[in-house]
Amino acid sequence: MTAAAAHKTIPELGTIRFENVTKKFGSITALDNVSVEFAANKINVLLGLSGSGKSTMLRHINGLNKPSTGDVWTLGTPVRSASPTTLRALRNNVGMIFQQFHLVESMSVLENVCTGKLGSLRGPRFGLWSYPRYVRENAMEQLARVGLADKAFQRAGTLSGGQQQRAAIARALIQRPTVLLADEPVASLDPLSSAGVIELLAQISREENLTVICSLHQVQIALEFADRIVGLNAGRVVLDRPAAGLTHNDVDGIYAPVPVDERVKIAV
Amino acid sequence: MGAPRTTNTEIPLPPRPRPGVNRIAAWSALVVLLTAAIWSVAALEINVASMVRSLDNAANFFSRMFPLDFPPLGELLVMTGQTLAIVIVATVLAVVLSLPVSIFAAANTTSGPVMRGVARTIIVVCRAVPDLIFAIVLFRIFGLGAFPGILALGLHSIGMIGKLYADAIEQMDGGPAEAVRSAGGTRVQWITSTVIPQVMPQLIATALHRFDINLRTSVLLGYVGLGGLGLELANALRTMQYQRGIALALIILLLCIAVEMLSGVIRATLLGRVSTDRSGLLGFIDRIAAGWVTAPRGGSEPQRTRHGTMRIAPQWDSERIRRFAGVALTIAVVALATVYADMDFSTLFDDLLALPQVLGMFLPPSPQDLLDVLVEAMLVTIQIGLAATLLGLVLAVPIGIFAARNVAPSVGVANLFRTIIVIIRGLPELILAIVFIVITGLGPVPGTLALAIGSVGLLGKLIADSLEETDVRVQDAVRATGATGIQVFFAATLRQTAPQIIAHVLYQLDVNIRSATLLGIVGAGGIGFFLINASRVQEFDVVAFIIAMVIVTVLAVEAVAVWTRRVLS
Ligand SMILES: Nc1ncnc2c1ncn2[C@@H]1O[C@H](COP(=O)(O)OP(=O)(O)OP(=O)(O)O)[C@@H](O)[C@H]1O
Ligand SMILES: [Mg+2]
Repeated sequence: MTAAAAHKTIPELGTIRFENVTKKFGSITALDNVSVEFAANKINVLLGLSGSGKSTMLRHINGLNKPSTGDVWTLGTPVRSASPTTLRALRNNVGMIFQQFHLVESMSVLENVCTGKLGSLRGPRFGLWSYPRYVRENAMEQLARVGLADKAFQRAGTLSGGQQQRAAIARALIQRPTVLLADEPVASLDPLSSAGVIELLAQISREENLTVICSLHQVQIALEFADRIVGLNAGRVVLDRPAAGLTHNDVDGIYAPVPVDERVKIAV
Repeated sequence: MGAPRTTNTEIPLPPRPRPGVNRIAAWSALVVLLTAAIWSVAALEINVASMVRSLDNAANFFSRMFPLDFPPLGELLVMTGQTLAIVIVATVLAVVLSLPVSIFAAANTTSGPVMRGVARTIIVVCRAVPDLIFAIVLFRIFGLGAFPGILALGLHSIGMIGKLYADAIEQMDGGPAEAVRSAGGTRVQWITSTVIPQVMPQLIATALHRFDINLRTSVLLGYVGLGGLGLELANALRTMQYQRGIALALIILLLCIAVEMLSGVIRATLLGRVSTDRSGLLGFIDRIAAGWVTAPRGGSEPQRTRHGTMRIAPQWDSERIRRFAGVALTIAVVALATVYADMDFSTLFDDLLALPQVLGMFLPPSPQDLLDVLVEAMLVTIQIGLAATLLGLVLAVPIGIFAARNVAPSVGVANLFRTIIVIIRGLPELILAIVFIVITGLGPVPGTLALAIGSVGLLGKLIADSLEETDVRVQDAVRATGATGIQVFFAATLRQTAPQIIAHVLYQLDVNIRSATLLGIVGAGGIGFFLINASRVQEFDVVAFIIAMVIVTVLAVEAVAVWTRRVLS
C-alpha cells in the first residue's frame, strides 16, 4: 500500500494535460482550443453550463472521444494516437463513474463490480462464476468499503439511486485506478444521497491519493469538495484556480450567457 | 424569431398540406392490393354456393373420420418424443447461430458497416427461404434424417430470431457497455458482460416463441420425410387412413396448445416480476439458508460464512435454488433431446465432398417446359395469400372490436372474444388445411380458408390490442359533442388505429404468401404442389427455378409491405 501510494505521488504519473485540444462534432465545436493541466493527486472540479463541454472533456481523458486537433496526455500517454492496446492499459488505470450509474440492473451488485476488472482480465466473461476468485473477493471488499456488503447479491436495479452510485464507485475502485473521472455523479440524486456520495468520493480520493476530475452543477458542493476549480464556457476554459479562497461571485462568471450565435452552434 | 403575433387578428387558414408523392403511392398500393384481394376471392371461387355444395362432402367426411384410431401409447410417445427432440435441438441451434448474427446486425454492437451488411443479408435470406425449401435442398445434400431437418428449421429460424435479437440489442441501454469500455474492457468483453445479460429475458422469450412455431413447421416437414408425428400424419393421409390421420391431428393440436401454454407461463415469469413471497417449502429453505451466514453489520463488513471465510456467492436460498434448477433442467432437456433426436453424422464428410456435384444438379435453374404452368401456380399462391388475408381481415375486424375492452359492449363480451382469439391462435394452420381438404377436396380453397382462419387469430388480437391502446381522451372528447357510440367508434377510435391496423394487415399478407407456398405440399393448391412434385421426381433444375420464383415473390411482397408501412406510419 505504501509503495503504491508513494509511486502515485510522482507528479508525472498523476498528470493529465490538454494541449490545444479542439473537438468538433460535425459543425458543433464542443471544445475550443483547450489547454489545461489538472492538478495531480487533487480533486479537480469542472463547472459550466449544460453543453459547455464538461462531459466531452472527461471523455477525452480516457479516449472515449479523440481530439479533432491537439492532444491529451493522460498518465504520460498521448491519447490521440494511442493504439487499442495502449488505450486499454490506460483505461485500466482510469476509473470512471457516470450520472446514470450505468449498472446492469438485472445483474447482482457483486457481478456489476466485477465487470470493473475486465480491463485487466483476458477473454469474455458471463456470469459471476466466470470471474476468478480473487476478483470476486476484491469486489466484495470494495463493496464493504462503500458500505454495500449486505447488498452484494441483490439485483442492482433494486438499489436506491445513492446505493447504485456507491456500487458504481466500487466498480471503479476495483480497477485500483490512479485517476478517477466522475461525470455529474450526483445529478440524479436527492440532496441527502448526494452529500453521502460526495463525502465518500472525497474520503476515498484522499485515502488513495487519486487524481479526481469531476464535473458538477452544484457550485456550493464544488466549493466545499474541490481542491481546484476549472470553469468551462462554450468549450473554452474561463477559470482555472485553486478552490481555496474562491467565492460564489468568482465562480458565477463561468455561467456568463453564451453569445447567441455561439449558443446556436453549441446547443443545436 | 419574428415579431410576436397579436391574438386579435384573424388567423389565416393554413394551406392544406399537400400529401407527399410517397403517401399517394402508398395509398395507391393499398388500393391495388385490396382490388387484387377481392379479385382473388372471386377467382378462387370462394363463395357461399360452393361452400354449401361441399357440405355433403363434410358429412361424408365426418362419417369416415370416426371412430378415431389412435396409435398405441408406446408408439405415440416415441413419435412425440422424436418431434419434440427435433424441435428442441433445432431451436437451440437457431439461437446459437442467431446470437452472433444479431450482434453483428445491431448498430450498437456491430464491428463495422461491412459485417453489419453481411449479417443483415443473412437474416433477410434466411427469412425469405421457407423451411420447406431449406429442407428439400438439405435432404438432397445429406439424405433423409433428423440432422438436415434440424438444420432446415434452424436456418429458417435465424430470419426471425436474428431480427428480434438485433432489435432487442439496439433498444438496450448502452450505459453499462460504456462503463466497461471505459474500464478497459474489449468489445467481446462488454458484449458478453453487459449486452447479453441485459437482453437475456427477451432472448429466452423469443426462443420460446420460435419453439412454438418450429413445432408446427416440423409437422409440415413430415410431408418431405422429417420423422416424428408429422411423418406419421402425412403417411396416414396419403394412404387415406382418415381415422388414424385425424387422431394424429388431434394429438398434434393438443401438443401445440400444451407447448404454447407452457412457454406462455415461462415467458410470463421471465418478463414479469419474481414474487418475493416466501411461504411453504421455499420459506423453510430460506430460513435454513439464513442460518449459514453471519448477518453483515451495516454493509461495511464483507459477508462471512459460519466458518469465517468471506462469502463471494449468494446463499442457497429459494431464489438461487430455483434459478439453478431452471438452468440444470434446461441443460438436461437439451442434452436429452440431442441424444434422442438421433442425428446421424456418419456420412457427413462424404456428403460434404459431394456437395458441389449436388449443387450442380440445381444449376442452372430451369422451368423446363412448365413455364406457363409454374407462373400460373405462383399466381394462384399469391391469390391464396391475398384472399386469405382479406377474408381473415373481414372476420377479424368484428372479433377484434368485440375483444377490445374499451369498445366492446361489456367486459364479459370482451373476455369471451379474447378467449375465442386464443383458441383460434392455437390451431395449427396445417391441421386446418388438412381438415378443409378432406371436406372440400384438393385445391386452393382449403388452403385459403385455413390461412384465413389463421389470420383471424393474429389480426383479431392485434386489432383488439391496438384499439385498447387508443387514447381514451379523444373518444371522450368526441362523445362530449353528443356523438353516438357508432360515430365515436369511426371518428375517434378507428381513425386513431387505422395506420397500425394497416401495418398489421400488410405484415399478415407477407406471412400468408409465405405460408401459401408451403401449404401447397399438402394439396392445398399453388406452387408448393409443383415444388414437392419436382423434388420427388428429382428435377432439381425445376426445384431451383421454383425456389427462385418463391424467393423473388416473397422479397417483393415484403419490400412493398415494409415500404408502405413506413410511409403510412
Ligand atoms: N457524440 C456527440 N455527437 C454530437 N454532438 C455532441 C456529442 N457529444 C457532445 N456533443 C455536443 O458537444 C457539446 C458539449 O457537450 P457536453 O456533453 O460535453 O456538455 P456538458 O457540459 O457535459 O453538458 P451537460 O451539463 O448537459 O452534461 C454539446 O453541444 C453537445 O451537443
Ligand atoms: Mg455532460
